[in-house]
Amino acid sequence: MAKSPKGVSIRTYNVGFGDCFLLSFDYGGAERHVLIDFGSTGFPPGVPKDRMMQIANDIRERTKRKLHAVVATHRHKDHISGFATKGGKGTGDVIAALEPNIVVQPWTEDPDLKPDATGPRAKKKQIARKLGRMGATTPKHIAALTHMHGIARQMLAARNLPKAFKGELSFLGETNLANKSAINNLMTMGKKRSYVHCGSKSGLEQVLPGVRVHVLGPPTVDQTDKIKKQRSSDPDEFWQFQARSIGTDEAISGGGAALFPRHVETRGARFPIRARWLRYHSRTMRGEQLLQIVRMLDQQMNNTSVILVFQVRKKCLLFPGDAQIENWEYALGQDKYKALLAGVDLYKVGHHGSRNATPKTLWNRFKKRSKTKKPARLKSLMSTMADKHGHGDSKTEVPRSSLVNALKGETEFLTTQAFKEELYKDTQLAF
Amino acid sequence: MPNSRKPSHSLPNARTLTAIAQDPSVRIGGKILVTELTLPAEELLPGPCGYRVNVIDYDSSTDTLYEPAVYKVLPGGHIEDRFALSARMKKSKRRPKGYDRKLLDDPTFHAQNVYAIVMRTLAQFEFALGRRVPWGSDGHQLHVAPHAFADANAFYSRDDRAIFFGYFTGAGGKRVYTCLSHDVVAHETTHAILDGLRRRYMEPSTPDQAAFHEGFADIVALLSLFSLPDVVGALLDLKAAGGKLIAAKYLEREALTKSVLLGLAEEMGSEVSAVRGQALRRSVELTPGKDYMHMPEYREEHARGELLVAAMMNAFLDIWLQRLSKIGPVARGMRDRSIVVEEGARVAGHLLTMSIRAIDYCPPTDIWFSDYLSALLTVDREVVPDQGQYNYRQALLKSFADYGIKQDRDADEDGTWRRCNVDLVYGRNHFDAMLRDPEEVFRFIWENRRALKVREDSYIEVQSVRPSIRIGPDGFVLHETVAEYIQILTLWTGELKTVLKITPPKEIPGNRRIRIFGGGVLIFNEYGQLKYHIPDRLEDLERDRQVERLKCLAESGFFEETAEPRPATGSQSHFANLHRARAMR
Repeated sequence: MAKSPKGVSIRTYNVGFGDCFLLSFDYGGAERHVLIDFGSTGFPPGVPKDRMMQIANDIRERTKRKLHAVVATHRHKDHISGFATKGGKGTGDVIAALEPNIVVQPWTEDPDLKPDATGPRAKKKQIARKLGRMGATTPKHIAALTHMHGIARQMLAARNLPKAFKGELSFLGETNLANKSAINNLMTMGKKRSYVHCGSKSGLEQVLPGVRVHVLGPPTVDQTDKIKKQRSSDPDEFWQFQARSIGTDEAISGGGAALFPRHVETRGARFPIRARWLRYHSRTMRGEQLLQIVRMLDQQMNNTSVILVFQVRKKCLLFPGDAQIENWEYALGQDKYKALLAGVDLYKVGHHGSRNATPKTLWNRFKKRSKTKKPARLKSLMSTMADKHGHGDSKTEVPRSSLVNALKGETEFLTTQAFKEELYKDTQLAF
Repeated sequence: MPNSRKPSHSLPNARTLTAIAQDPSVRIGGKILVTELTLPAEELLPGPCGYRVNVIDYDSSTDTLYEPAVYKVLPGGHIEDRFALSARMKKSKRRPKGYDRKLLDDPTFHAQNVYAIVMRTLAQFEFALGRRVPWGSDGHQLHVAPHAFADANAFYSRDDRAIFFGYFTGAGGKRVYTCLSHDVVAHETTHAILDGLRRRYMEPSTPDQAAFHEGFADIVALLSLFSLPDVVGALLDLKAAGGKLIAAKYLEREALTKSVLLGLAEEMGSEVSAVRGQALRRSVELTPGKDYMHMPEYREEHARGELLVAAMMNAFLDIWLQRLSKIGPVARGMRDRSIVVEEGARVAGHLLTMSIRAIDYCPPTDIWFSDYLSALLTVDREVVPDQGQYNYRQALLKSFADYGIKQDRDADEDGTWRRCNVDLVYGRNHFDAMLRDPEEVFRFIWENRRALKVREDSYIEVQSVRPSIRIGPDGFVLHETVAEYIQILTLWTGELKTVLKITPPKEIPGNRRIRIFGGGVLIFNEYGQLKYHIPDRLEDLERDRQVERLKCLAESGFFEETAEPRPATGSQSHFANLHRARAMR
């Protein structure tokens, strides 16, 4: 096997709304395979039901039954649902059988940093050292993420909502549900596990000789605090409070008990004339409120995304998961990454093409963008599906039209939206 | 005087209704502290629904409408307050069996509680301004939903014509109702009223403007709470033993800070702090004497709003102390508790009236804290031209300076607004029409545009002409008129320099259409002569306000959005530009 790869082939799978990329590094005859994310929250109509299993089988074949690494950028359904197991018959079972050497996840998945993490004394010392490095309030942050799953579950249970809100609310709610079997599978399938943060080692060095892998995100609690000059409230506390205050499921779901059962005037379809105007406006307003909360939560979870740059000699591949501006902010402020980002040759478009995931400062740094076709022009890969996320009138639609136009105009652009029957498309890059 | 009900006396003007003094966690001897609020009398429909407030108890989380509160009319025009305590109970501090439970579990009491606090807050504004005060929403009757949804939130929504109060599950599974917190209800009501008085204050602009709505609403909520003798008394009793006398040591500044300010902050239901913030506690914690206004962490709107609250609360204590120093001891080192309490409530009431009246003396667009301080001082000078026995102006100036808030640069040496002393043409206007007609006031502005420094090439609109009536220092009724006008000027970025002599901040990319806003308040005395002109000028070279505003917007990322290709017709970009312009404010 060669000491460093000659090229890489990137297989972009069509998972509808989600991400699934298989990177196969060519070491002159031998190959090393890295799977980055495998999840979906929905397919366009007409796609066969076993699409995810087709993809899992294709991954098995393409890798000749051996995966070298799995990267799960963050725990959203559209990035990890494919790792779910089902008593040996799930897509996650297929992937686990490929025995990846290492599984890379964000530091927020590290079981040692959980608020209730325990162990023998040596372990405790190790945990204390980690906390010293990452920030003392780290467990609180991780607890907040756990609360978010609970809130998402409650949002999904919400009833009595105007139709206009149901679609996005259930989409975002479902994306943010805890996917226990996928999470457990990720925790156990690899021989090794690596939990990364900005500036840490990726753990991929051993399986990918000759490739430098830079971790640009997510930042630790300490790193985030360094760039936040002013923080009047603690967002982690907010989520804990929110989880509790929304309270029991029936309080939010609406199907549940009235607050004052002995004083109910009506719960039926007929409301007295005097109450109708307020009823209409309250319901709409509540829909907006719930949506706002679930959007905030969705963003927070996106911001736990691992951002990786694979560098071979002067060629760079950027895979930022769903990282949004808040995640990017720390890395973008570091001088050492400036040249690295300027030289990016291939960009996996962040967060399915949403506005906040490709910050302007990042876009402006890409030097290989060009309005005309030429050999070294920036390549971009986007896995997405329209009408799932956000709205055109608020300029939050995914993918965002102005970004798509820029990608079309200034890069070699590949989007899963343009796929017809294909299960995947391959992109080649020589080093 | 005969009337429709045929008694020979006039109908009652005011009535009392029982409400929870602060919130269910403020207790005396383990019992919820209740009080009777005085509000305008009116015939109430079920709800209660009156001439300004319509309480509809609809819960959108469970899609349930609860029964309205229904009031029985008693002979003489009064209504029955089912939750009133008998005189004996009030005195003994005892309660009928199950009284507290009933307050918490009966939604008709919750409806009464919000109705009473909203109406009292509105009445306080009308009392201070001497006129009817509109809501920010369309229409005259504001909807109030006491249990609107399951969430730790409460807010006023202009477009929904409503104030919504949420409920949530607190620690230990206890239900918390935001509609039972006096300060939360008064705070949200103040948003609705301030929005009616100054519509442009909700637009994004400088940190001061963002913070003002919050800070002002907190000031009104807290002062209206401290103007209730029951509340002041209960807070004093937290530290001192009850009884008719109170030892002087409890009336030192530090002791009062601890008992009254911090005491209330601690007694208030801590669960609700997610809804109300920590302004009162911060009033105690912030060390005075720092230049907070220029510290970056105080550019954040909530932190900045707390500065305004801290300044006002500390001024309140100072003035109260001044007044207490004039009360003689009853016994050695002992003061009459009821006088102490009454003085405190009175100072809070005075400051509340001043705080509200000051809004009339603030520019209609882009409020700065410095404007508000000058407005407050001017209000006081109008009422008490010579520094009276109690020096409110000095106390306010000192306390505001303690938190970094200075009077406006255009103001007089004593911090008050300068009187208008330019030569103006009155001959083409009619006195009577000037009292109420926006067209007439516009004509006055147009005739005097040069003297008033109003740009001819801008869009000018007189938004309101309102009477302001109060009792002057000599006991006579003073009738003044307050008129507001706004100006809009639309320029390309490049024209900022040539037209307004503003160097555009470098963060504004490319050549954009930018709307610059300005305006002013005109205050006419009882002869119809212009007494004050308080402008927010389009051209503000001395104070650099427009530059500062553009900088703040640029800082907040307002101009970061990439420019979309503009369609040739411009019809599609109309709303995009309009929204951008709105956000410019």
